[in-house]
Amino acid sequence: MAGDEDKIGAEAIAWTIRTGEPDFAEWEVFAAWLEADPRHAARYYALQGDADELAALIPPPEPVRAAPRRLARRGWLAGAVAATLAGVVGVSVLQTRPDPFVVETAPGGRRTVTLADGSRIALNGGTRLTLDRGDQRYAVIDRGEALFTVRHDPARPFKVKVGADELIDVGTVFDVIRSDGKTWVGVAEGALIFNPRNEAVPLPAGRALSTSDGVADVQVGDIATTSVGSWQRGQLDFAGAPLADVAAALSRATGVRFTVVPALAARTFRGTIALADLRQDPARLEPLLGVAMRRTPGGWEIAPSP
Amino acid sequence: MTLAGLEAVFLANRAALLRFLVAHGAGDAAEDLLHELWLKVSRASAGPIAAPLPYLFRAANNLMVDRHRAQRQAMQRDHDWTDIAGGTLPGGSDEPSSERRLIAREALGIAEAALARLTPRAAAIFRRHRVDGVPQKAIAAELGVSISTVESDLREAYRALNEARRRIDEA
Repeated sequence: MAGDEDKIGAEAIAWTIRTGEPDFAEWEVFAAWLEADPRHAARYYALQGDADELAALIPPPEPVRAAPRRLARRGWLAGAVAATLAGVVGVSVLQTRPDPFVVETAPGGRRTVTLADGSRIALNGGTRLTLDRGDQRYAVIDRGEALFTVRHDPARPFKVKVGADELIDVGTVFDVIRSDGKTWVGVAEGALIFNPRNEAVPLPAGRALSTSDGVADVQVGDIATTSVGSWQRGQLDFAGAPLADVAAALSRATGVRFTVVPALAARTFRGTIALADLRQDPARLEPLLGVAMRRTPGGWEIAPSP
Repeated sequence: MTLAGLEAVFLANRAALLRFLVAHGAGDAAEDLLHELWLKVSRASAGPIAAPLPYLFRAANNLMVDRHRAQRQAMQRDHDWTDIAGGTLPGGSDEPSSERRLIAREALGIAEAALARLTPRAAAIFRRHRVDGVPQKAIAAELGVSISTVESDLREAYRALNEARRRIDEA
């Protein structure tokens, strides 16, 4: 009956909001509501699930724009005047010299850099990038994970250096992880080329590549485009990743040290982990991963279920 | 609070906690889930617990919400997922893959329809609350608005979700 559904819906909203607050203590009243009608629990869960999906669609807040030093008109004129005054002839003030700077996050931190052309680089925790004010279509990933949204410009491809490799892109959304000598790249939109001067592996939307230093091959596979950079939406999507990589991703994203018992390191996981829940209580990983979570001095260890 | 203290509270309220799990739809698995709850809680040892009984109920709530979330994700994924720890819940992942894709598409449609109806502030508040886990009071302080503004924006978001799901269910 429509009227009933409205009432149940409104009650489910009220209970969802109240149980979502950390100081909520009227659990037995909530239990009584759940018991009163089987539709109540169904509605509560439907709302929780739908809320997760909605939250995942909402983009993070707009970052404060990084202010690179550009050759503004005034600067150019001042430069020309200064050059004339100093008697330096033949130096083009329009020439941009390399002007590197580092952008870094602590584990669990987040930062977004906006480049002069509007391209954006979102840094996950434990990440270090070297950028160049003199060339705003260039980045080096020293370590960690970054999600790139590159503005389309075929005349000036964007270049990313990661380890000894290079990615060339003309306008794309892609995520790069660099950790322990391993590199992973996933493309959500557009297309990238990996090592154009060597292997020249094309990576269109929906493809991912992984490679390790010192290993000749490169592995390429398919991924869901929505999972690329999902960390930025507070979710980590895994499609058959070994638990060792899951632990590294969790550590990077939360700043808490997650380790895995060697016996489980190679076991694979396929699913999604919500970072808000994980921060609240890492033991919530247990049913999802089929493991036991053990406290360690520095953080948590993923261990076999008893 | 020591572990022994927490255990005492757990044992004293065992029946209420069991009833809570049953109210959440645990059914025959309720005793097993209660045991699982104790294992988790006894391992967590998160430091001082101001209010042990609400803490235990919240842990039980989280346990059930997580199980339903795992099942819902399984229903939407395009492969067999029969080894969720603790066994599948009733109505588990036996759907054929075409059915699963439909469920996944529907869920996305509901989320997108709801998003379209939110003001930018309501969307930001919703995200801060659900993704970052920030309590309403802190969000209100961050944005310089009243707590009732935050709550009413959250309500707006949940109402939009309810509406969107109603339309799908009625179709």
